[in-house]
Amino acid sequence: MKYAFLVAWREYVENAKTKGFWLGMLVVPMIIFATIQVPIWLQKKGTPTRYYVLVDQSKSLGTVIENKIESGYQRRLYNELQDYARRNSTAAGDVGKFTPPSFDEFKEMGEAGFLEKLRLHLRSGSPPFKVPRRDFLQATLPSNVNIEAPLETIAEQLRPYLRGEKRVKVDGQSVSLTAAILIPADIDKQVVRPGAKRSGSANGIEYWSGNLADTQLREEVELAVNAEIRQREYAARGLDARVIREVEQTYAPIASLNPKKEAGQEAVQSVDVIRQWAPSAFVYLLWISIFAIAQMLLTNIIEEKSNRIIEVLLSSVTPGELMMGKLFGIAAVGLTMVSSWIVAMVVILTWKAGTTSAVPGQLLQVVQSSNLIPMFVIYFIFGFFIYAASILALGSVCNTLKESQSYMAVISMVMIVPLMTMTFIPKDPNGLVARTLSWIPFYTPFIMMNRVMADPPWVDIIGTTVLLIATAGFTLWMAGKVFRIGILRTGQPPKLLEVLRWLRRKS
Amino acid sequence: MNGSSQIAAPLELCQVTKRFGDFRAVEDVSFTLPQGSIYGFLGPNGAGKTTTIRMILEIIKPTSGSIRVLGESSALKVRHRIGYLPEEKGLYKKMKCWAVIAYFATLKGMSRRVAKRRAFELLERYGLKDFANSPTEALSKGMGQKVQVLAAIAHDPEFVILDEPFSGLDPVNQQVMEDIIRDMAKRGRTVLFSTHVMQHAERLCNRILLLARGRKIFDGTIADAKRTIPRRVRIETEDDIAPLQELNDVVAVSESPASNGHATTSASKHWELELRENADPQEILQVCFSRGIRLRSFNQTDPTLHEVFVRLVGPEAKEASFR
Repeated sequence: MKYAFLVAWREYVENAKTKGFWLGMLVVPMIIFATIQVPIWLQKKGTPTRYYVLVDQSKSLGTVIENKIESGYQRRLYNELQDYARRNSTAAGDVGKFTPPSFDEFKEMGEAGFLEKLRLHLRSGSPPFKVPRRDFLQATLPSNVNIEAPLETIAEQLRPYLRGEKRVKVDGQSVSLTAAILIPADIDKQVVRPGAKRSGSANGIEYWSGNLADTQLREEVELAVNAEIRQREYAARGLDARVIREVEQTYAPIASLNPKKEAGQEAVQSVDVIRQWAPSAFVYLLWISIFAIAQMLLTNIIEEKSNRIIEVLLSSVTPGELMMGKLFGIAAVGLTMVSSWIVAMVVILTWKAGTTSAVPGQLLQVVQSSNLIPMFVIYFIFGFFIYAASILALGSVCNTLKESQSYMAVISMVMIVPLMTMTFIPKDPNGLVARTLSWIPFYTPFIMMNRVMADPPWVDIIGTTVLLIATAGFTLWMAGKVFRIGILRTGQPPKLLEVLRWLRRKS
Repeated sequence: MNGSSQIAAPLELCQVTKRFGDFRAVEDVSFTLPQGSIYGFLGPNGAGKTTTIRMILEIIKPTSGSIRVLGESSALKVRHRIGYLPEEKGLYKKMKCWAVIAYFATLKGMSRRVAKRRAFELLERYGLKDFANSPTEALSKGMGQKVQVLAAIAHDPEFVILDEPFSGLDPVNQQVMEDIIRDMAKRGRTVLFSTHVMQHAERLCNRILLLARGRKIFDGTIADAKRTIPRRVRIETEDDIAPLQELNDVVAVSESPASNGHATTSASKHWELELRENADPQEILQVCFSRGIRLRSFNQTDPTLHEVFVRLVGPEAKEASFR
């Protein structure tokens, strides 16, 4: 056993030195971090302020658009203020917990009022509030543009600005113009109504912009203008706008309830959705880790074989010791990688919990309150042994990586099934397909991992685990036999029948 | 086998046979290695040398017969005391030289700390100090082989098996290899090495074992081996050598070309006389004097091991190499 340990130790140390190992260690935490951080970051810094000019010959719709943009900004400002308050306020002291004002109150008091209200609750040393950048800002029209001129003329005059050849002024600074919104004087007459034919040539409101991908401003304009047009339409037809708004806001509630939860707590929250899907993420991790280190094992054994290092090894250790050493050494490599992922995940989630996005906190809660992680480790170990043993046997009969490739394709095909069913299983975690697949030992780790949160029957949990362990043991035993004979073999890989003969051979 | 009754011989093979299917790789081979000897394991390609070595190390099992290594029936029981350099050389490419040597030494039971110190020591002694921390893939073939030899002997084994240790080495490093082998023997270690280059065997070995087509052809000292083929005398003379041909001790006479390539004086010829076993070359000389045969040169040559080899396995060697 001492020699198996020595082999394992070398495998571990040498593999831990490879670039692939460190890449594997870092990539997953980076992906987790990026998934959480990038949307927040994009929202904050991603898009710069875009400048637009507005020519309103109708003298009515321009302000509607301006108001809409402004109120959008106020909403964002309010959210950021709330976020700032959550991060920097303290519950301790005489002042008690800070209760943020509602949005309507905020609209009254403004940013300064909000901050004033918060001031007493702020933790000492809090950073000052950073006012978010505006998404859209109106620029002053270039002086040569006559706002009374026909729209074609104005558009023609604005063209060089929109193309970026000339720049407009905003608060004395020259900036590039993103869009121009031109509202014709007779916009009322161009409104399209059901049944009425659209008058041929008129464009309605003209939205000029060189950037086709960014439609946000156009959408704001559309929403604002149409809401206003409809208001006017109600009035014109003698309908009570207020009544209509009230009607539009009526609805029948619909609640998602989960029968598995305690009475009174059946309501499905976003945590529950996460709870249902979190296993899939773990299945994916499990799959990647098992597949990656199984590959590692294959290249490793073939290197020794093609280098003929194996002979020296076999003059010092028995084939059994060598195989065990390899299995445990590589398993330790895999476990290190996997545990670093788990630690990184918990650390990142803890760090990000309670910030702008609610998901990390909920995810953390799910991970902590469930047996996802222990099950992951168990399934990782047994799943690894099943696949690793098969791959060791395979590696021992092949002389080059190329030779092993065609056999590896078979293993890959077997392994692809849990990946394909990965998103399907959570939808019907205790259905026929899920249960059947669970009982196939090569799939047990992945499928059962996926079902972990759905309270599978005990028969499935215990039965499949027993079967899994038995199969892992059996595969190891078989691999040991093939390994012992295959490892010294050179030349053509053996035929399947020959391998079967090896298995029947006594010791 | 002098006084080895109390100490078990490092290696004893008794009627060992190995078959792979119908192919008989080794057949009925028996031999014993005396303690502290350098034993040459000779034979043409495909003679069964590597197969025998693998059986000795218990990497494969013989079909029949018994093998005792250092007094044990299983080489694995005494693996700490055996060193092995396989025929095909290979190292872990990414590992550092010292680490490879130390790793194999720990597999032979050395503690990791001692093994590391020993690795650096050996690398320094054999001129590879500067490469101690390089990965083995950075080494030339010869250097790599040296590292592998060092890995095989790092634990100072009592019994070392080297399969073709000289192949792939330049003359300087072949010399180093010879020194390593002699040094081990001097310290009472037993060395078994296989080769098909006779010069190494001739210089190094106390005893040789000749194998061809899986069978033992010869086992004994080099002097014994040379005695298996007739002794030869080369003479150069202008006179008639008929009186010599009539001698009882002379088995055959043949004219041979000048040996050293120098132009010979017109009339003188070179003759090669093959003598009967145990014949004394001095008697030939005496006959020459008494019969008035004037000699320009008289050369009593021992056969080389190469000649012995070709003579003993000649036809089989050719056959084997074309298989």
